[in-house]
Amino acid sequence: MNAVAGIDAVAFFEALAAEMNAHPERFTVLGEADMVAGLVMTRPDGTVFAVGLSFEGLACESVRPLPLDELGLVDFHLDGPLAAWQAMFDDIAANGVAVGRQTINSLALLADSIVLRGADPMGVDKFSRFNQTLQEYLDGASRAAAPVRTGARS
Amino acid sequence: MSMTDKHTYEGLPEVSPLGAPLDWAWLRGARTEWGVRPKPGPRGLTMMDIATGSYGVVPDDPKHRSMAPRGADVDDDTPDMGYILNKKSDVWSDNVMELYEEAVARQWSATRDIPWGELPELPDDIEHAICQVCTTLTEVEMIAADLPAKWMWRMNHDFIEAKMFLCTQIMDEARHAEVFRKRALANGGGLLMSRGQSEGLLRTILEAKTYTQATALMHLLGEGFILDIFRMGELIAPSPVEKRMFRMAMQDEARHVAYGTMHIRYAVEHDPDVADEIHEALDHGEVVLTQFGTNQDFGSALAVLLGGGVEHVETKGFPLQMDLQRKQFTSYLARCERAGISRLHRTKLPLDLLGIDPATVLS
Repeated sequence: MNAVAGIDAVAFFEALAAEMNAHPERFTVLGEADMVAGLVMTRPDGTVFAVGLSFEGLACESVRPLPLDELGLVDFHLDGPLAAWQAMFDDIAANGVAVGRQTINSLALLADSIVLRGADPMGVDKFSRFNQTLQEYLDGASRAAAPVRTGARS
Repeated sequence: MSMTDKHTYEGLPEVSPLGAPLDWAWLRGARTEWGVRPKPGPRGLTMMDIATGSYGVVPDDPKHRSMAPRGADVDDDTPDMGYILNKKSDVWSDNVMELYEEAVARQWSATRDIPWGELPELPDDIEHAICQVCTTLTEVEMIAADLPAKWMWRMNHDFIEAKMFLCTQIMDEARHAEVFRKRALANGGGLLMSRGQSEGLLRTILEAKTYTQATALMHLLGEGFILDIFRMGELIAPSPVEKRMFRMAMQDEARHVAYGTMHIRYAVEHDPDVADEIHEALDHGEVVLTQFGTNQDFGSALAVLLGGGVEHVETKGFPLQMDLQRKQFTSYLARCERAGISRLHRTKLPLDLLGIDPATVLS
């Protein structure tokens, strides 16, 4: 099975952003988006990696480390153990896109590993409203340049 | 500022070639914010961009009852169009312009954007089940078009952005009815059972006495419930074709729920008296929604899909359905909290039976 390395690193998500921004045609059918999402991963040693992703139009405009005290500033965040995120990205790598219960929607719906959170209800709504844009961005892990597969932690 | 500050346009004719009198007020003396020049953003010129100066002021109690555009120089004797929703809190939500732009930017086609040609041959029980689910969804989706259509012509025209958003909702719902009807027919199955339980819910929504009651029943309760069905779509869809269908519909439905939730919040914040009216509607709505949710056709078809076939319906399908139903009702109650209309101490839903923990709702 394909495995994706280095998902708990800003460089990994920057590569996904580069993939998205190089292929806006994949996002055209979904339409323009306007959301700031946070992804939070808790490593086995208890340390936390968090990244903020800003989407505007058909592009991922910025990827940045997200201090935990700024989680209230993003529209919503998805929070789960690193192993759950790893399983999701490995599924994407194996199938080209997330399938079954490894889509971000199903993971958040079942909420037994990755949980949707947010301080502002209007922001949390954006998870469903722009869900497929976020999914397509994450599915980019199956197509992103080789460094993503072997990327080092930043 | 009037444009006559700069030009007087002397010498213009006083009658038209057919002899009708001309007053040239639009050119010489209209009260207007001449010179307003909103700047387009990265996505183009949005409704938020043009909500500038007096054009961006949506009055709480509009003076006129006509179709005159808000911000125009309106004659005092414009006719009354018979609007009955004349308070901003009757229809407004703070996210309505953004939702309108989003809806326009994220339209899709049930003809073109669903890979119909990739539908696989399915076992008969699964094909029956997805056809039954699509039959019921086709039946219920158009209520969210009929309901705003019933009320929109009664909304004061100064709330044009809210009316524009509801137009997108009507288009969305037409597409949902289209996509589910197409799926029912596309793979050798067809439209299956339609019985009374769905109609009870639909009639309750359509016959609500006020728009605020109607929107509470439709957006908070009905569409929220359907949104959660669409979110489950990935778990019930037998192939990537249905997954795509549910995912695309989910995004649309989430916009409608976002409007309804924030409209109710706005209404309650600006007119606390409507809270009782909303509770009264939801008291009844929850009863009919429960009847709809336990609809023998829709419910058992969902369970068959969740179980992966009739042979697993008892061991896997029904238990998973119960679990998801608990999430659906939890999600509804949480939505009510966000809308500022807490139902936890008033709901008619059997929280214990459904296994709903109030703490989860509040979190």
